[in-house]
Amino acid sequence: MNMTNKRFLFSLRLIIVVFAALWIAGCGINNVPTYDEQVKASWSEVLNQYQRRADLVPNLVNTVKGYAAQEKEVLTAVTEARSKVAQTQLPPNILTNKEAFRTFQENQDQLTGALSRLMVVVERYPDLKSNQNFLALQSQLEGTENRIAVARRDYILAVQKYNTELRTIPGRWWAAALYPDAQVKENFTAQAGAETAPKVDFGK
Amino acid sequence: MFFTAIALFISTHLNLTSRGGEVKINVAHGNRDHRLARWAWTITLCMVVNVAAAVDFPPLTGRVVDEANLLSPGTRTQLTERLAQHERETSNQVVIVTLKSLQGLPIEDYGYQLGRAWGIGQEKRNNGVLLIMAPVERKVRIEVGYGLEGTLTDVQSHAIIQSVILPRFKAGKFEAGIVDGTDAILGTLAGTYTPEPVKSASAGKLESAIALGFFSLVFGQFLVGRLRPQALGAGLIGVGTAALIWFLLGTLGLALGMGFAAAIIQLLMNMGHGGGGYHSGGFGGGYSGGSWGDSGSGGDFTGGGGSFGGGGSSGDW
Repeated sequence: MNMTNKRFLFSLRLIIVVFAALWIAGCGINNVPTYDEQVKASWSEVLNQYQRRADLVPNLVNTVKGYAAQEKEVLTAVTEARSKVAQTQLPPNILTNKEAFRTFQENQDQLTGALSRLMVVVERYPDLKSNQNFLALQSQLEGTENRIAVARRDYILAVQKYNTELRTIPGRWWAAALYPDAQVKENFTAQAGAETAPKVDFGK
Repeated sequence: MFFTAIALFISTHLNLTSRGGEVKINVAHGNRDHRLARWAWTITLCMVVNVAAAVDFPPLTGRVVDEANLLSPGTRTQLTERLAQHERETSNQVVIVTLKSLQGLPIEDYGYQLGRAWGIGQEKRNNGVLLIMAPVERKVRIEVGYGLEGTLTDVQSHAIIQSVILPRFKAGKFEAGIVDGTDAILGTLAGTYTPEPVKSASAGKLESAIALGFFSLVFGQFLVGRLRPQALGAGLIGVGTAALIWFLLGTLGLALGMGFAAAIIQLLMNMGHGGGGYHSGGFGGGYSGGSWGDSGSGGDFTGGGGSFGGGGSSGDW
């Protein structure tokens, strides 16, 4: 009887320990790595969409050249901004490296600016605007710019959540105790004109 | 983010103004009370501002949500039937929305958030499409879920909007534009996915409950298997199983059922004493191996949990 009792108490204690572990898991001990993964996932979506845009550019530039070769200045600006984006090596710690992150953002914003100037210039060439190939590229560019905006917004939210977790209690305590490597991550800053995709009126 | 900033601004502003009155209040109530009250105010204000900030999405009342009243009841029924048929054939969810207002947002911003809020498309496939019209702002958009971006491409959505929908809208024929636009979308999407039986949420839960029950049975054997009387051990296992399932899955009925089953199994196993073993295939016999989600049945329509990333195209008239 005594034996059974001891055994019973032991199992009771084990059950309590298991439940305590589950309760702690529900209490945010895993939040820092979970949010970290979300940030990484949304960052790769951002890169993915920027890459997609960079891939569109050469084709777009070539098509425009066929109809509007005299717009050299704008075309060169686009090509240069694009090669700058393609050539910049991203360091592995880009998300916590303020300098590198800013450079990345500046380069991409420059391409955004150059592309939207190109799309304004193009309005002057009715032949180009009725070219099927160009229309397809234009709607792809539009869609890509929109996807970039969505991906950036998702990234901003993910980083906000992660940084808040790192800076507030109890996430701050968990991070100090268990994830000492966790660092606050860089976020996008909205710049004048950076968020607006090149708008094109097809109706006119 | 923007609204959090407003909330922060207001709360700091509040702190400043209340600091002005601090001397007086200090005398009356003491510093601590005052600070507490200030915190309470700040928090309340933040909450109020945050609630007010959220974009209002119309309720998902069916496959055709006609807030702006562009469609006749007959057309609405017809379109609903066609969209339901399309989901039965392909599992794609296509929803037509007409809006009273975009609430000041660009239609691109509104569209993907609406799609996410409603969860249009199956969760694993993200195969949802929204056809959104905002007659007040004179905007139209085809919003394409992640899983269909390769089929209904930006170029194709653009073509449908420019050559099918907008010409009719410009002529004031909204119904015709919506019906023909929907046909064009469904035509492009036809044959994209075959409707594998998608496991409904409850079936998924049953599966995890069975797994958990099995786990707690084995674990319980370890802990209380030799406890006498047998009924006590079986009872403990039953309660433990029920508690575990209730705690993790949150379904009380399922938890009680599985707990009861676990207790019975424990009793039966001990009866044979030494013989028997686990009949792992024995329980959960009623599980049919997957069933259609509610959304497929054409009755009450709900989103399958799909997500959107800004694919598609927009136009205005």
